[in-house]
Amino acid sequence: MDEFEAFLDAGGIVEPNDDIPERYRHAVFRFIELHANSEYMGGLTERDWIPKAPGMHRKLTALAKSQDEIGHAHLLYMVAADLEVKTREEMMVDLLEGRTHFHNVFHYRVHSWADQIAVAYLVDAAALASQQAVFKNCSYGPYKRILRRVIAEEGFHMRNGEEMMLLMAHGTNTQHEMMQEAINRWWLPAVQLFGPDSRPDDELLRWHIKSERNEDLRDRYVQKFVPQLLNGGFTIPDPGLRKDPDDGKWKISEIDWEPLKKTMRNGGPDSARRIADARSAWENADWVRTALDAAAKAHT
Amino acid sequence: MTITKSTLNAVRSAVALVKDPEYPDLNIQQLGILEDVVIDASSIRVDLVPTILGCPALDTIEQDVLAAARALGYEVTVRFCHSPAWTPDRISDDAKKILAHEYTIAITPRTGNTECPLCGHTSLEKRSDVGPTACRSVHWCPNCRNPIEVVRSRKAQDQ
Repeated sequence: MDEFEAFLDAGGIVEPNDDIPERYRHAVFRFIELHANSEYMGGLTERDWIPKAPGMHRKLTALAKSQDEIGHAHLLYMVAADLEVKTREEMMVDLLEGRTHFHNVFHYRVHSWADQIAVAYLVDAAALASQQAVFKNCSYGPYKRILRRVIAEEGFHMRNGEEMMLLMAHGTNTQHEMMQEAINRWWLPAVQLFGPDSRPDDELLRWHIKSERNEDLRDRYVQKFVPQLLNGGFTIPDPGLRKDPDDGKWKISEIDWEPLKKTMRNGGPDSARRIADARSAWENADWVRTALDAAAKAHT
Repeated sequence: MTITKSTLNAVRSAVALVKDPEYPDLNIQQLGILEDVVIDASSIRVDLVPTILGCPALDTIEQDVLAAARALGYEVTVRFCHSPAWTPDRISDDAKKILAHEYTIAITPRTGNTECPLCGHTSLEKRSDVGPTACRSVHWCPNCRNPIEVVRSRKAQDQ
């Protein structure tokens, strides 16, 4: 293990055909499975907004984003299954039975189109920031390669979110109010996406699966988004928010992590409905999978 | 205002550098999306060829093209052409290399099998017709064990 860790510290990239230590293999598997599940659940949320998106262009974007997320999940599940901890089928069953997890931000209800914009603008940006940090120094080759493309595509989503947010910011009073309400709902979940402060002995950091501590990512996010939201004429739903006179940096209130822990155990405000919805989407698409399998067999 | 040949060339050089929203390292010239810059009823028109119909990035590309021309002091119009149809052949050789090495994205050659951009293996297993984007299919390389996305062409769909 010492030798393996020295290899990782020297910037070594692990490939599937290498001799991979068990603990690393399991850690990287769990991390990719969580990412895959989150992309999958995110894709389903996006899908809900395809029929409801205002106008043809927004529908096209919602359609494309949904396809992006499901496509990312597809690639990630392929790499996760190849680590031979669980089959792809087992991962799907575990997710749909609520035995495994997905990111906190997909455990809340998306109430309005403004909520959907807040997700695109605030949540996608937080997810992108954490993916960029993983990519920078990721030691598992196949995962790093997928992240390269995921980041390029998520960057496009973020630009789209920013554009829609500005439209609301400079729109009518009703639009501005709608956006403010959405920001009130989504600010904290977005900030919490980075998770509580990293433990000094975090294996994910030690093995270069992650490259930056959660608190550093969270802080950078706050420094970027607080001024952006204030410039848009919005308020931030944090009475303790202040600018530190010493270093000029924005400081947010202490976060109570207990609700997040409960959410991550699939006990969040909308977890049960989300999982049930994913399960019915899976069951309703059963005939498609059956037909595709039959077509593939007929071809060979 | 008379539009000279050198004006068209200048506009062409400027809009050629517009980045593709989903491949930030590549511009629309390298990807073969920029078809031509022409004079249309005494104004300048930029003709673009979308990689795929219904591509969600078209709006963004159009905005960026307009902005690039405006930065030179020209107001242009953008037209998305249905003919010629875009094919992966329109991607420049240097862009193909960037797609392969930076993005692990392969292009099906005119003859022979698609090669894994990582290990050169030539028997990729197709996993789905489309991937995260409608213009790429998803394959698996059984040799180096990586998912490989392949830019779709009519030929690749027929396989």
